[in-house]
Amino acid sequence: MSGSQWFQAVRVLRKTIGLGALLALAAFILGPLLSLLMWAVAGTWLFPALIPEFSLKWWFYVLGQEDVVKSIRMSVESAPVATALSALICIPAAYAFARLEFPGRRVVLLSFLSANAFPKIGLYVSIATLFYRLNLMDTFAGVVMIQLINTLLFMIWIPTGTFRGINRNLEEAARDAGAGPLRTFFQITLPIALPGLIVAALFAFIAAFDEAQGSLIVGTPNHITMPVLMYGLVLGYPQPVGAVFSVLLALPSLVLLLLMQRYLRAGYLAAGYNL
Amino acid sequence: MRAGWKQGALGLALVLPPLCVLLFLVVIPAITAVVTTLTARAAGTSLFSNYAEVLGTRGLRADITYTVVVTLVAVSVTFLLSYPLALYLRFTRSRAVGFLGVLFMVPLFVPVVITSYAMINFLVNHGFVSTILYRLGIQTFPRLMYNATGIVLTQVWASIPFAVLILGSGLQAIDDALIDSARDVGAGALRTFFAVILPLNMTSTMITLTLLFIGIFGSFTIPFLVGGNAPQMLGVTMTAYLTQYLRRTESVTMAVIAFLIAAIVGAVYIASVSRRERGTR
Amino acid sequence: MIMKHATRARAVALIVGIAVLAFLVGVNPGGAGAQAPVTLNVYISGDTNIFDLWQKMLLPAFQKRYPQYKANMVPLLHGEGSQGVFDKILAAKQSGRQTDVDLWETQPSFVTQGIPDALWVKLGPNLIPNLSHVLQQKLDATQSYSMPYRGSSVVIAYNSAFVKTPPKTFDDLVAWIKANPGKFTYCDPNTGGSGQAFMVAAVYKYASNAQFIGSSYDPKAESSWDAAWQLLKSLEPAMYNGGAHPNGNVAVLQLLAQQNIYIAPVWSDMGTDYLSRGLLPKTVKLEQLSPPLFGGDSTVTAPASSAHLEGTFLLLNWLLTPDAQTLVVNGVSGYPGVDWQYMPASVRSKFADVAKPYAPLPNSQYFADMLRLWHERVAGGG
Repeated sequence: MSGSQWFQAVRVLRKTIGLGALLALAAFILGPLLSLLMWAVAGTWLFPALIPEFSLKWWFYVLGQEDVVKSIRMSVESAPVATALSALICIPAAYAFARLEFPGRRVVLLSFLSANAFPKIGLYVSIATLFYRLNLMDTFAGVVMIQLINTLLFMIWIPTGTFRGINRNLEEAARDAGAGPLRTFFQITLPIALPGLIVAALFAFIAAFDEAQGSLIVGTPNHITMPVLMYGLVLGYPQPVGAVFSVLLALPSLVLLLLMQRYLRAGYLAAGYNL
Repeated sequence: MRAGWKQGALGLALVLPPLCVLLFLVVIPAITAVVTTLTARAAGTSLFSNYAEVLGTRGLRADITYTVVVTLVAVSVTFLLSYPLALYLRFTRSRAVGFLGVLFMVPLFVPVVITSYAMINFLVNHGFVSTILYRLGIQTFPRLMYNATGIVLTQVWASIPFAVLILGSGLQAIDDALIDSARDVGAGALRTFFAVILPLNMTSTMITLTLLFIGIFGSFTIPFLVGGNAPQMLGVTMTAYLTQYLRRTESVTMAVIAFLIAAIVGAVYIASVSRRERGTR
Repeated sequence: MIMKHATRARAVALIVGIAVLAFLVGVNPGGAGAQAPVTLNVYISGDTNIFDLWQKMLLPAFQKRYPQYKANMVPLLHGEGSQGVFDKILAAKQSGRQTDVDLWETQPSFVTQGIPDALWVKLGPNLIPNLSHVLQQKLDATQSYSMPYRGSSVVIAYNSAFVKTPPKTFDDLVAWIKANPGKFTYCDPNTGGSGQAFMVAAVYKYASNAQFIGSSYDPKAESSWDAAWQLLKSLEPAMYNGGAHPNGNVAVLQLLAQQNIYIAPVWSDMGTDYLSRGLLPKTVKLEQLSPPLFGGDSTVTAPASSAHLEGTFLLLNWLLTPDAQTLVVNGVSGYPGVDWQYMPASVRSKFADVAKPYAPLPNSQYFADMLRLWHERVAGGG
């Protein structure tokens, strides 16, 4: 436990600062969410009331809107598909970036980073015309493709770093022991890389889930996602409505958090992430 | 180096699917946009006249500078908060670690629109925090929303999980034995950090800083909901030029300029990673 | 730490399973293939009270009257996404396809933008009989390519608990603002009509509005706006938070409700709606200034590439009937699109005092320049 010993060298000072910092951080992160939760059960809340009037009337209002239910379904269906598709095409590519030499490797790698830096406003007209020709407008596939664009960055870069961090000796040892390249990949490389890949999938999912500007053009009117709807609810309706919808939206995310919890602990992200 | 043409072919084949997606859905539309900025101009004007016009407008120059500055501040604050947190999670064995581990992940699962909305209700004058202080007798409250401070605070809130994760995974790779040996030669905690930890974790650091910069620089939702009226972040300005002021060409010109700035940052990252990689070969 | 074989396999199976399931479910959306009733897609730009008007009052009444049609409303809050819709319609026209947009309520600027590309149907009494009930000058504003169906005006909302003598004219209001710094604001004009109205009122103070409401456009005429920019800039330090202009009409209503400000320009229909729902303190009152702030008609337009033009014309005609117009007036405390003489007598008498005149809107090109110059000269460094 020598790592800990180093840190404990300044134990007393650390403990005091640590506790204060911890409380401050917890307040900063949880505070806004707490106030949102209170707004979600508020009938009315006018300054300078410390606590709102309790009421669930806005829940009935929100859940009564059929667009709300439709959009939840749309988001929950499209984002996982976009993420899975992204993983399918990007992870082999990431392995290639990490392990193989081929002409133009650096240029292609750079292009993924650079292309995602281009503000999407400038792109959407051209994309819309293209989609019209390909009959992708107002289709599930069209929305998935738009979300896919946003996932590419995470699905290439994080897995590339993950694969690069895996010690080559492990793979070479397996090869020397007689295992073929595919077997080596699935039995040696992939298990070590998995936590990193799952983190990449998580970020990719968030990016797909949050996508709003492109989905508006491509998905209307029958394939509206939650962000597109949410944007309007939050800006235009009375405060409790946005708060109620926020709580509703947090639910799938929260479920994901609980399921993925074990993968996200710092310890799991270790395993040779050696850059 | 056992690079044969077989390996090269395989590499290209594996990379082809995402590359095609990128090409058709991003690169080609982007090139079309750039071409527009060079050709959509009055007859007889110079090739770069659109760029000259945008960069010559005082308000737009202010927006560009503002975007760069706000992004740098947000990235720095996020980094300064996330690194200690990552260090704490890596090197401490205590009950708090489990709780902290879940806590810092929470903002990741909150969609950006909700984040902005929650922060506004939390920090606006006569909002949550200010009402509590008001009841405690503190009547004045600093202006934390609808300005750069609001943007920075909200971006930091939303970016902490990402930064801690990436930094943390880099830290994970540092062997305890290295820390130990530093201690053995008498190095204090701070010295160990600067001499051992920071250099070894440099790649994660570079990834974090670069991706944070690009993400925050080109963002729209947070600055739109939480920012002020002027100057504005480029994402907001571009949208206004396109949809409100009906100036499509200026909007696309700004998009290209923003892209160039972000690309420079990306190039810095590539250069540093390449150098490291060449060193380890 | 290397994961156990079994756990890894389970995790992978779980992920793949969810993805496949989700895809299958997504491929079978219910109901989108109904044959008999034709579905009209109605795109509405505006604020949430307008969405409620369409969703809860107008469209159900229309569907009841014409059961062979179903209507689906797509909301565009504050017009967000309008550029995307315009691009969609343009792209469809250019590639020779039909567009799914059957009706669009949007800003006149988009209508004007689309005229050269023949994106809209020119409306006339031959297509829409009830159009003759609409004042011709209202149709002229967009050369009959769009049709007004409701109107609203911006008024002043003030909290009578803090404002004992409300300002009656624009100049009174300016004086009040300077005397009470930090207690007034208007929304960023890019994001809401209530803020635009205040900005335009300043412009109209120094330059007769006749120049700017027609169809001509001369950028040089904009030099007459300089005095207005100076006035507004001088008011900035007296604004809420020293110059904060929130995002959207609703955000200003919320500031008023939170007692962060005591006076604000608001849309008449939104103000009435908020008061009735208890979202504004009961001490808040509405009044119109003299000369009045602007108001305008909301118009709807029919894309030429729509697949269901007969249905669209039917809807447009129905919108102008006394029944539908009464829904509008009652539903959003708004003004009808048809001339008042075509409204039922009971409605006319009930809303006699609401039916006050309002100032006209500038044309879309001047308007776009006003928005940009406001950002540069008033909010920005000048």
